[in-house]
Amino acid sequence: MVLASIALRNLVQARRRTLLLSTAIGLVTTLLVLLLSISAGISDNLVQSATTLSSGHVVVAGFYKPSPTLGAPLVTDASKVRAIVEAKTPGLERVVARGRGWGKIVGPGGSVQASLSGVTLSDEPGFADTLQLAPRSAYLEGGGPEVVGDARRIGEPDALILFASHARRLEVDVGDLVTIVTEQTDGRSNTLDVTVVAIARDMGMLSSWSAIIDEPSLKKLYSLKGDTTGALWVYLDDIAESERTMTSLRTTLAQEGYALMDYQPVPFWMKFEVVGGEDWTGQKLDLTTWADEVSFLMYTVVAFDIVTVFISSILLIIIAIGISNTMFNTVRERTREIGTMRAIGLRRRQVLWLFMLEAIFLGLFATTCGAGLGAVLALALDAAAIPVPIEAMQAFLLSDTIPFSVRPLALSGSVAFLTTCTALAALWPSYRAALLRPIVALGYTA
Amino acid sequence: MKPAVSLQKVVKDYPLGKVTVRALHGVSLDIQPGEFTAIAGPSGSGKTTILNMIGCMDVPSSGSVALDGTETSQLSDAQLTRLRLDRIGFIFQSFNLINVLDVRQNVEFPLLLQGKHSARERAERVSRMVERVGLAKHAKQRPNELSGGQRQRVAIARALVTNPAIVLADEPTANLDSHTGHEIIELMREMNEKDHTTFIFSTHDPRVMECAHRVVKVADGVLA
Repeated sequence: MVLASIALRNLVQARRRTLLLSTAIGLVTTLLVLLLSISAGISDNLVQSATTLSSGHVVVAGFYKPSPTLGAPLVTDASKVRAIVEAKTPGLERVVARGRGWGKIVGPGGSVQASLSGVTLSDEPGFADTLQLAPRSAYLEGGGPEVVGDARRIGEPDALILFASHARRLEVDVGDLVTIVTEQTDGRSNTLDVTVVAIARDMGMLSSWSAIIDEPSLKKLYSLKGDTTGALWVYLDDIAESERTMTSLRTTLAQEGYALMDYQPVPFWMKFEVVGGEDWTGQKLDLTTWADEVSFLMYTVVAFDIVTVFISSILLIIIAIGISNTMFNTVRERTREIGTMRAIGLRRRQVLWLFMLEAIFLGLFATTCGAGLGAVLALALDAAAIPVPIEAMQAFLLSDTIPFSVRPLALSGSVAFLTTCTALAALWPSYRAALLRPIVALGYTA
Repeated sequence: MKPAVSLQKVVKDYPLGKVTVRALHGVSLDIQPGEFTAIAGPSGSGKTTILNMIGCMDVPSSGSVALDGTETSQLSDAQLTRLRLDRIGFIFQSFNLINVLDVRQNVEFPLLLQGKHSARERAERVSRMVERVGLAKHAKQRPNELSGGQRQRVAIARALVTNPAIVLADEPTANLDSHTGHEIIELMREMNEKDHTTFIFSTHDPRVMECAHRVVKVADGVLA
């Protein structure tokens, strides 16, 4: 207790030094919190865009092969599979059926290839709320900040929701007609004119090749029967249960007599070649998690984390040298005091603790302030919705604005990590102080 | 009765570059409990070295040092530290107070290190000592707000608060004017008479020597 009191008083006594060091440590913490917030923001966007455009938390999909060489990503007798999933999934929030397709969308300005996600609005009444519509300025030259269109109109026949980047390229606005061209498994093409009912804000790479169509239109394009769908998206109360639920559903569906494909943690469109090369026919189910369906995008989070670690490490090394140097100076300045305390009866271990406590208090104070500032800045910058003007960067960040997401664990982790680093940087000078013999320390002249 | 301090043929060599300097040449000295002893001699004569040996802050190159019959040269650093904390009080020439602590906290410091007294007991002891050295009105002041004499009084209170068997004072009046120096020596003698604590202090001031019961003279590392 007395050591803590002395350590605190010494920090207050050396106000200027404490303030300078605190500022440096605090700024590094702020930067780390900001970088972690962006990383968390990208991660959140990844989950958001994945679970809006590509998958539920768990995906029950599959391939139907009428002949050994032809295969399509379909689930036949979908209502029967759905009933089993609904009955046997603990922590289930909802199951929705989504059609899957791939086609060319042709508009006045040209054409784009896009993955078509078939939505049944009666199946997903809250679907419209998951999309943010784009202002006209995002896709029309000379467009204003007004938002037009209504995502709920996806329940109407022959309706399409485009993302802003596609709308820009196709030069279309809400209410315009575009043509969708799809290719059947037997090589024939189908076309359908659809109305653009809404234009959504871009969601990074996933939205750059996605469009949302009403499910009956998608079935029309592929000439599919009523009880066939592309995939069943399973939403859980807790996304963290995805892996466990997927494993348990695999066992359940196998017990119910369904043939299952071997588990491969990649999106369905990477499996066409493998499926085409196998000689089975009929239906096989394929279960994956949301993370599997966007595994090819995980690199964005990993890449940003690497950048975060790299920048933080460099700053940390600089700060650690600064702290270490300052602590050596402190020990030098207080050598006689150390000698006095050692003479009176302070043990070596207590001397070590005295200086370590100073570093720990300094670290705690500075990192807490820094983390607080970082959190406030991250929230403010998120609210400011800073636009990302470069399309490649939008794809990388999975958003058209810089995403910030403040996580309490990241804040407490930053404080704990940087305080530990501060303490470690002070360990060597503190140890040297503890090794001082009282007679040598007392005779020291600064 | 065992002597409070017993030095037997103590030799102390200090390496100085490639040569070795001998600071003490086989010093033998017994000091009885309750003595008020001055170790006198010119600068460099070996006074401080003798005090360092007695205070367990240095070990002899040869010979032995015993406190109350306990041989100190074989003790570990931790044991010597505990011995200093429990048995010895130190008064330094430059006062050596902890600047960030106030008068009361400086005096309480060794009691906290001992860790064997309740908060109430510590408070009582500290109040008593601060009162005895005449600093009750300055109890909340920091060392840099005190005069030299007042600082040395704090040092005396800190040295005596643990009821040590021996108090070592290295030139306690050297940084004080003669009037204040005399007051400090008188205070030390008063403590010695009331508590029967053994006081050993070094000095080269003849007026201070006059106050001692016994004067041990040192010159060139030997007792004169």
